[in-house]
Amino acid sequence: MAPDYELAKVEQAQPVEPFEELPSAADLWRARESLGNVRKFARNYGIVVAFILLCISVSIVCQYRVVKGDWTENIFLTTDNFRLILYQISVNGILAVGMTLVVISGGIDLSVGSVLAFAGMLAASCGTSLSGVTPWSGNYALAVPILFALFGGVACGALNGWVVARFRIQPFIVTLGMLLAARGATMALTGGNPIASLNPQFRWLGNGKLLTVPVPILLFAMVFTVAWIILNKTVFGRYVYAVGGNERSARTSGIRSNRIKIWVYAISGLLAGVAGIILTAKTGSGQTNAGSSYELDAIAAAVIGGTSLSGGVGRLSGTLFGALIMGVMNNSLDILGVESYYQLIIKGVLIVTAVVIDPARKAAE
Amino acid sequence: MMKVNFSQSIGETLMGKIFALLCVSGMVLGSIESLQAAPPGRKVRIAVLMYGNKAEFVQLMQRYGKQHPAVTSGLADLTFYDGRYDAAVQNDQAQLAINSKYDAIIVNPLDFEANIEVVAKAKAAHIPVIVTNARLNTQEMTSAVDSDDVLGGYMEAKAVLQKLGCRGNVVIIEGPKGGSGEIQRGQGNNKAISECLAGAVRVLERKTANWSRSEAMDLMQNWLQKDKGKINGIIGQNDEMALGAIEAIKSAGLNVHDFAIAGIDGVSDALNAVKRGEMTSILQDAKAQIQASIDVAMRAVLGAGYQPMSPIWKQYERDMKWSDGQSKHYLVPWMVVTPTNADELLASRR
Repeated sequence: MAPDYELAKVEQAQPVEPFEELPSAADLWRARESLGNVRKFARNYGIVVAFILLCISVSIVCQYRVVKGDWTENIFLTTDNFRLILYQISVNGILAVGMTLVVISGGIDLSVGSVLAFAGMLAASCGTSLSGVTPWSGNYALAVPILFALFGGVACGALNGWVVARFRIQPFIVTLGMLLAARGATMALTGGNPIASLNPQFRWLGNGKLLTVPVPILLFAMVFTVAWIILNKTVFGRYVYAVGGNERSARTSGIRSNRIKIWVYAISGLLAGVAGIILTAKTGSGQTNAGSSYELDAIAAAVIGGTSLSGGVGRLSGTLFGALIMGVMNNSLDILGVESYYQLIIKGVLIVTAVVIDPARKAAE
Repeated sequence: MMKVNFSQSIGETLMGKIFALLCVSGMVLGSIESLQAAPPGRKVRIAVLMYGNKAEFVQLMQRYGKQHPAVTSGLADLTFYDGRYDAAVQNDQAQLAINSKYDAIIVNPLDFEANIEVVAKAKAAHIPVIVTNARLNTQEMTSAVDSDDVLGGYMEAKAVLQKLGCRGNVVIIEGPKGGSGEIQRGQGNNKAISECLAGAVRVLERKTANWSRSEAMDLMQNWLQKDKGKINGIIGQNDEMALGAIEAIKSAGLNVHDFAIAGIDGVSDALNAVKRGEMTSILQDAKAQIQASIDVAMRAVLGAGYQPMSPIWKQYERDMKWSDGQSKHYLVPWMVVTPTNADELLASRR
């Protein structure tokens, strides 16, 4: 640095200085660093920017409706509407949190929709006033249905994880099996009948409010926070990344990868149980076809949020915004009266585009 | 040592794997078979091909089928097949039923066109085939037993419009786009609306929620957000979606009784909602559809001496004649559910 400075001082004496305009090495360094910062920023916050851009463009289209005189106010940009969007994504969001963990660990869980239905049915079968559907039927308020549902979810998830780890079978196959089996178990539980007339205490979990905030949103927030801490602030969380990044080297460095996997699938099952409770309480009935194809929405949220299906890469904050983007899309297309066919096309394009432009993927290449 | 080698080779060779698989499936099948003890004696064996078994309506049909007097008295034996929502699977099951020498086939088809094969195959094998609940685009079947979806759509829309005095804003929650249910019930909806004074009733929104309660709930919440205070009536093309709309209204903190709401099918939750005065439901009589089908099938197998055994013929004496089981098309009447008959229906489903 010092010689450069000296040189500049000497040159300053000269009348013509053609070189002064050129950037110095230090400038170049700084520029390169800031370009790196942009990349880093894009990697970390690209999804947030995408979400904000989506909201802005929807707002503009809605504002146009107001200007045209169709609407009296911008329906999209109200706190009520954003509360509604959060309420609507809470089930998918909770599933997506579990899915993110599984996918980071290098696996996939196709069974969450079916496990959701199974857990929801377990909860409904002991939270209903119509007794006699199952041997444990009764009119229990909260604790019993919740425990049944969570236990059912964890059991299905842990079984998934155990088979994946113990027999070294691809998670796709194992969880596909569970997708079918759990759906069958749901139907067998009640002979295919729905269970209705759930009691109000239980329904509160789906349609109740605490200080103007709907309970499902609070549950989603809780799930998200706890999962975030587990994934980012605990040794277990580091191990999940390690197992998904390179299982062999994780194992050689002493990580018990089998145990990690079983835990990860068990967590996913547990969260499917939570989602099952919420959905059942929301609709007020345990239904055998609840949650069909929800696994795909959960995978979509994780992937849009930058989680790589090859494992080792992903963030929960990305998944949150992935779920939010999908929620805003569904909500705004309904509000704008776009036909459902286009809704599906847009969703499909969105998922692929998100992966194509994902900076994290580019960085990995 | 020998033992270890043996089990290893069993596990490793392809034959061994197939053998193990056969053993396991044999065990599973055996245990299922033993649960369903086969009754002795010559009976009329009827194969019932359902398009799927996840919907409550199909469950009800199966239950009422088993309650048919001919079945309970041991005269007939029903076997239900689950078509898994796949027209191809249903066609294969028809072949299976023919190969298994069933005396008659009752089919609740998934697809208007794709399942015509069921009828064609049965006819070629000289087995009577009755199409129930949904329609098939053919006249080759022995008989068809169903309800008129256009009429059902008309009746539910009429119920909503009556409550509104034929003026105001309505929304329509549709079935899966392009399905016969959505098209025909939609025609009925339109017909009822067109009978009001021109311009008096506006259809604010019209979109599918795929027969699903949770999808309809999300959709209705978004509409309530958009058309705040403007929606007066909700026409759900089935009960599940009408119930989803009711949940949406409740979750928005509005009063369900301020809306005119109707659905079709008469599922149990809807019956309870009718009792609370929250909606109107048009019952599609699952019992009449399946039991009439069974009687028509029995008549086709046993010949002219057969007298119908189901009580539904008496119940619908005026609107649906037995005509010696020879009619080509039996139209099961729709029934408007009222708080009084809701109790009876619920009791019969316990």
